[in-house]
Amino acid sequence: MKLTRWIVVKLITGLIMIWVVASAMFALLHDLPGNPAATRYSELVTHGDTPQQARAATAAMYGFVPNQPLIQQYGHYLWQLLHFNLGQSIAEQGIPVSHIVFDAFPWTVILCLSGVLASFLIGVTLGVAAALRRMTKTGDGITWFGAILNGIPTYIIATLLFYVFATEWALFPQGGTVSIQYDPGFNAGYLGSLVTHAILPVIAYTLAGVGAWVLTTKASVISVLGDDFILAAELRGIRAWTVARYIVRNAMLPLFTILAIAFGLMFSGAVFIEDVFNYPGLGQLMINSLSTSDYPVLSGAFLLIIVAVIAANFLADLCYPLIDPRVRRS
Amino acid sequence: MSVTAALPPEQLQQAVTRSRKVSASRWRLLVRTPGRVISLVIVLFFTLMAIIGPYLYPKNLPINSNDIYAPPSTAHLLGTDFEGTDILALIITGARYVLLAAFIAALVTLVIGTAAGLFAGYYPRSAGRPIMRVTDFVLAIPGVPLLMVLATIWSFGSPQQMGLVLGITGWGGIARAVRAQTLSLRERGFVEAARGLGIPGRRVIATEILPNVAPYVSMNLMMQLTGFIYTEVGLFFLGVVKYSSSNWGVMLNNAVFQADALTSTRALSYLLSPLICILLLTISLVTLANVGDEIFNPRLRRI
Repeated sequence: MKLTRWIVVKLITGLIMIWVVASAMFALLHDLPGNPAATRYSELVTHGDTPQQARAATAAMYGFVPNQPLIQQYGHYLWQLLHFNLGQSIAEQGIPVSHIVFDAFPWTVILCLSGVLASFLIGVTLGVAAALRRMTKTGDGITWFGAILNGIPTYIIATLLFYVFATEWALFPQGGTVSIQYDPGFNAGYLGSLVTHAILPVIAYTLAGVGAWVLTTKASVISVLGDDFILAAELRGIRAWTVARYIVRNAMLPLFTILAIAFGLMFSGAVFIEDVFNYPGLGQLMINSLSTSDYPVLSGAFLLIIVAVIAANFLADLCYPLIDPRVRRS
Repeated sequence: MSVTAALPPEQLQQAVTRSRKVSASRWRLLVRTPGRVISLVIVLFFTLMAIIGPYLYPKNLPINSNDIYAPPSTAHLLGTDFEGTDILALIITGARYVLLAAFIAALVTLVIGTAAGLFAGYYPRSAGRPIMRVTDFVLAIPGVPLLMVLATIWSFGSPQQMGLVLGITGWGGIARAVRAQTLSLRERGFVEAARGLGIPGRRVIATEILPNVAPYVSMNLMMQLTGFIYTEVGLFFLGVVKYSSSNWGVMLNNAVFQADALTSTRALSYLLSPLICILLLTISLVTLANVGDEIFNPRLRRI
């Protein structure tokens, strides 16, 4: 019973966050320097449109009608959002923003998901090893490796990977998602091309995330090492390997919460990696729409990112009681 | 009301010697490995560069269209860029923007984050809940996309403007860390004693909790500094924000997207110079932050 209430509270908090961001986007689109929506409206009127036509066209583009009372504009905007109507693109006249944004979304998700999971698995393994072997050269080496990787910005990792493996040695294609020589579909050439194009970006994500995982895992494992139940297990003469399993299981718990946050952080990395590897995801979409002043697309992409992050956090919260029985009981 | 003020002179003397011993052991941790000494030197070097760098060169660096993309030579130690400007000069004059913006951002997060964390931790029920809601919200929003959206209405031309926005959007981590520390500190004896004496909450926070949280915050801030440097340089690297003077991020952007440094070798020095500076600076900061980590988390030490 308590669990259901907790879930409902989390759900409502998430919805409120989305509402706040959506309202901020409305304020942004409404108060942009030069007020593009109103400019567009008067442009259409001077081009001979009737006020009704002009109003409808601007409303389709921005999701609200200029020259209406503010509260009505806001209501109209939110109502359209509830129907997944994010307005129309300015740069690509007449194409719905939702269309453009949902086209870009899967590319980002594929890269992010594989990158986050790979960095999580590798980083946690290395972090556990570093903590259990912290008095040895191996442990020092892993910690050093983690700290260095953690100190390198994503775009530098991506740039160096591109330069070394796509230009100097040309092992991988220079950006994009797939070679145009293959027909889209389930054939080996097309899928293989997809994979070879995705390898470098995914490695970039992985390297960008792995350092932080090594360091947090090491700290988490070491904090468990000092717990009484570990000492008790050691004193009872339980095999070192089994004790290590106790340690790791308890040290993993806080890491799952961080995993949810990592999905959010990944979207920041996505902007850089997609930019360097010319990958048509949400990050590149945001860059392009910013340079062409395509504000509806910019705000639509941002809203979708926020919704994805909040959904990931919510799912992580849902899973947490399954992983840690103590949360269920309290 | 601080505890040491109430001590008799001889005990006070002992307390001072003890704290000297503590700071001496911290100093030993810092100079224990050569890497840490080098890190400290590098950070000081770049700080010096940021302070005096812009005075060493004229405001508009000379350009020379006959000498573009020159390889490193005695005239141009790091070569020249797409308009024949000396890359070393660009690096030295560009340091100020990067470091000043990060410094201002750190200052802003320090104030907002510490204040939010202290109050949320000391009053976990009343002030804590709303503060933590806002903190979670700030933490959940990915930084770079947010800054890109803000770039439509905010100018990032001066380091002050950049630092302010970075700080306002980036205080969530410190607030969380400070709150956790405060929550555990407020159950400790000396804080309960102060509360029992009827000292108002604001003074307990300022005189009893803040001094104990401060070293922890300073360590956290060091990690945040690297994050701010990543992000601001990254924004210029993407080429999505307008700039009034060149800095390391603008150089990276020009090298990668104008000079095709990724697919040709002519601009290699142009690409590598800012890149190595950023790497040296951020890795040094991370190393120094690790020293702080070992000071506050003795179990991480290798004895």
